[in-house]
Amino acid sequence: MQPDKEGNVTDTPRETRVLDAVVSLVDKLLDDFDVVDLLTELTERCADLLDIAAAGFLLADPLGQLRLLAATSTQTRELELFQLQADEGPCVECYATGHPVSVADLRAATSRWPQFVPAALEGGVASVHAVPMRAAGIVLGSLGLFGSRPGELTESDLLVGQTLAHIACVAILQEHPPTPSTVMPQLRSALTHRIVVEQAKGFLRERFDVSVDEAFSLLRRYARTHGEHLTDVARQLMREPSSRPALLERMTELAHG
Amino acid sequence: MLFGMDAAAISLVFAGAASGTLGSSGAAARVYDDLQFTLGEGPCLDSVASRAPVLVADLANVNDVRWPAYGPAMLDHKIRGIFAIPVVLAGEFVGALDLFRAKPGELHVEHLAGAVVAAELAGMPLLDLMHSDLQAAADDPDSGAWAEFNALSRTEVSQATGMLVAQLGVEPAEALVRLRAHSYATNRSATDVARDILDRRLYLEAD
Repeated sequence: MQPDKEGNVTDTPRETRVLDAVVSLVDKLLDDFDVVDLLTELTERCADLLDIAAAGFLLADPLGQLRLLAATSTQTRELELFQLQADEGPCVECYATGHPVSVADLRAATSRWPQFVPAALEGGVASVHAVPMRAAGIVLGSLGLFGSRPGELTESDLLVGQTLAHIACVAILQEHPPTPSTVMPQLRSALTHRIVVEQAKGFLRERFDVSVDEAFSLLRRYARTHGEHLTDVARQLMREPSSRPALLERMTELAHG
Repeated sequence: MLFGMDAAAISLVFAGAASGTLGSSGAAARVYDDLQFTLGEGPCLDSVASRAPVLVADLANVNDVRWPAYGPAMLDHKIRGIFAIPVVLAGEFVGALDLFRAKPGELHVEHLAGAVVAAELAGMPLLDLMHSDLQAAADDPDSGAWAEFNALSRTEVSQATGMLVAQLGVEPAEALVRLRAHSYATNRSATDVARDILDRRLYLEAD
């Protein structure tokens, strides 16, 4: 059992509280949601689950400048600390490198961030951490975490922070919440992909005289080896008779290789 | 009329070229539909190319310039709203259900759901596409069209379709039609026929 922010001992194990937070947040993503509202809730969940004082999402604008998108606190001093990080601090470093940044004791980091550290210490911050927000191979920004006591983030703390940062990315990129007119075609498209993959399994079963399962594993192996999507390979096989011979030749090599 | 529309038509597209109106609710619908083949642009072509519905609430919207020739031509016919839902056959986007309406406005969510279902059922080979009961079939979970749709959507049927493509050298849509024809002729379910093909107990003959 862990003490919470007020020093009380909570009965619910963290694992349960993390799952509860994830389910509740993903649930919101699947309905009509407001991005700022949702991200603010994410920062609150972060602070609660990681036992820290404040959390904030900083997102890079098109010029690469970090902008505060949402934060736990509405206190001017803490907001300023997040915004100060547009120039220097853990979030900027995390954004620049794409890797988590963790400073267990801020007092030792004065020379690293000469403007940020004194301001943060004065604001009662003792430790700072940042995890990257990523999508499509690029860093979108970072999730900054401020602790009121010195201390490391554990592996599992980092994983929780990273999970919440992922959810934030999905919320931001899913600009428009799903509506019946976007959901139905997507469902249909997903089912269509499956039909084509099943056809490809049957096709390969016949061509290579293997079981359906073996045909599927060949298809997957081919897609992975060539860095292609499974459904794209299946579609090419079933819908483009002209490219079939070359594709089958490469598959034969893979099957015997 | 289907889904509060003034006209409806189903057209097929092959190799990116509109190739014809398959069925229509009447002479006017056929004219609206044929016009896109003449002009080389329109909702059916766009919805097949994007594999997604094309929903135009008001053709008279000056910001909408997607069809420089087809748009004005349809306005001359007093059509303001155009909605196209792709028709999928054996996993292939083969055409679209095109809906035309004189009044501008978004497609109601329930009508969209109905149109998606109708387009789904229209993908059933040999189904009488513009049958007056199409909406009834879409609304009735016990209808034969649904039962058939469910049967042909089964995993085994898709896998057997793929085997037939390899055995007979035909395209998936034709392979599915052959499988379905055999199941009709022998009075067996499509799933049973598919299993026999998969287990190599049954070979359909090439033409």
